[in-house]
Amino acid sequence: MATKKLVETGNVISNEELSADVNAMVLECPKVVELAQPGQFVMIKNEMGSTYLRRPFGVADVDKEKGLLLLIYRKAGKGTNELSMLEEGAPISVEGPLGNGFSFDNDGRTLLVGGGVGIAPIIYTARKLGAEMAGPKPIILLGVRNHKELFWSDFLEDFSQKLVYTTDDGSYGRKGFAIDAIPDILKAYPDIKHIKVCGPTIMMKGIAELAIKQGLECEVSLEKRMACGFGVCLGCTFEGKSGKRWKVCGDGPVFDAEEVFG
Amino acid sequence: MDMQRLATDFAGIKMATPVMGASGTFGFGVEYSDFLDLNHVGAIISKGITPLPRAGNDGVRIAETPSGMLNCIGLENPGIDVFLRDILPKVRKTAPGTTFIANFSGSSVEDYGMMAEKLDVDGVDGIEVNISCPNVKEGGIVFGTDPKAAAAVTEMVKTHTSKPVIVKLSPNVTDITVMAKAVEAAGADAVALINTLTGMVIDINSWKPLLGNVTGGLSGPAVKPIAVRMVYQVANAVKIPILGLGGIATAEDAIEFLLAGASAVAVGAENFVHPDAVVKVAEGIDTYLEKRGLKNVSELVGKVKIN
Repeated sequence: MATKKLVETGNVISNEELSADVNAMVLECPKVVELAQPGQFVMIKNEMGSTYLRRPFGVADVDKEKGLLLLIYRKAGKGTNELSMLEEGAPISVEGPLGNGFSFDNDGRTLLVGGGVGIAPIIYTARKLGAEMAGPKPIILLGVRNHKELFWSDFLEDFSQKLVYTTDDGSYGRKGFAIDAIPDILKAYPDIKHIKVCGPTIMMKGIAELAIKQGLECEVSLEKRMACGFGVCLGCTFEGKSGKRWKVCGDGPVFDAEEVFG
Repeated sequence: MDMQRLATDFAGIKMATPVMGASGTFGFGVEYSDFLDLNHVGAIISKGITPLPRAGNDGVRIAETPSGMLNCIGLENPGIDVFLRDILPKVRKTAPGTTFIANFSGSSVEDYGMMAEKLDVDGVDGIEVNISCPNVKEGGIVFGTDPKAAAAVTEMVKTHTSKPVIVKLSPNVTDITVMAKAVEAAGADAVALINTLTGMVIDINSWKPLLGNVTGGLSGPAVKPIAVRMVYQVANAVKIPILGLGGIATAEDAIEFLLAGASAVAVGAENFVHPDAVVKVAEGIDTYLEKRGLKNVSELVGKVKIN
């Protein structure tokens, strides 16, 4: 169930380039961090910036002791470019934690799949499965553009049983899409019972269909344009396979794959 | 906050403050309970309710614009029956003391009468008639751009309710005072203005409109000066009270509307950005009144000095 949500003025602790267009920002915002669960998101407002609406970012990771929140974002437009210029100590408004995150089950192993900056929420999810829960460590499969996007390993290695990359250009790991690597992974780890995916829609759809066919429990994390993040603007609604209308922000962003792609 | 200074009677609707949450940006109010004290909200104005459930428009529904946003939600809502059965009781349980105004629209004059009658129930303190949604073909703006149709809807609603009736006007007309006078003559207890301005954004990479519905309604700080001007014009044209809205983000913005002639105001898009805005604006108005030694917010209404 959705947790209590609040707005907190955080401080930028660091804001570093991970690659030419991807940044990692660490924010100090202990109240939001205390409540945040894997798969939830925050709405960020750079009060010094020129954009009007908040922007949603998945919670990439948290340090609950220090009250730190990690966001990993691609510089894709005016808002994220302005965000990338913020220096240590800059204030930033954080609204959250928002939505419902991934569900967790001690029965069997989990395969975590991320694509592009959709990999970000996989980190906190992997921490929970690989460092906080008793069960087997997750297998992590990442689809990236090329060998310049291997920085994800630094965040994920400690929590994974095995970390697999596919690249669009074949410059590292298997050439192709993340889904192409799944049959081999399932063969090597027959104890996998759950798949959790966050990435481009086409990637999630393919993997969801594969998981449903194989009888594996599968959750997908959706992304849609939204103005508010807590269920009032109705910018992010969609109709599920059951015919029920859902809000990505309030009912998701994590959904059972069957309801979205079944 | 000094609740006496802020207490407002708007067209017979009693409110704790003159600052409401605008329709379509405030859900049914209860969604904001984590962010603000609902007892300090002047009124919750509900998301637009229609006779049947509506899924809204397909495709992209939200776009950021300079100092504002475009939306083309298309009146997604669960319909009047679900509202009355499930939502209204929840609102009254969560926010028993908060004034609640139901916003609604229909596809025909008869629809509006039927809706007004169904909403004539305990727990609803007033009704806001939406004749100005720019994002649906049937209903909505069809009635909001023709003074005769607007008057017909207003008359129909007035004969089917015991509640105070606010008619929400569209700015997408040549002269908004013509519309305001038409609904006043038809019996409206108040007017609300402005609804969103029709706008459009084109993606120059794909050469396609960004919004799924091609055009959408513009709101946010970008529209504020237009809204203040229209409130000023309407205040000089009608005697019924005005609910002023359009781009209000701060108490200073709200005070401009009051001086222009609005008796109460509503915060819209800003709720998405700062979900405590309705209360923050009321607090700021209270501070302003205190500094100027004014006893009630009504002392500001229409006091703009023109020579």
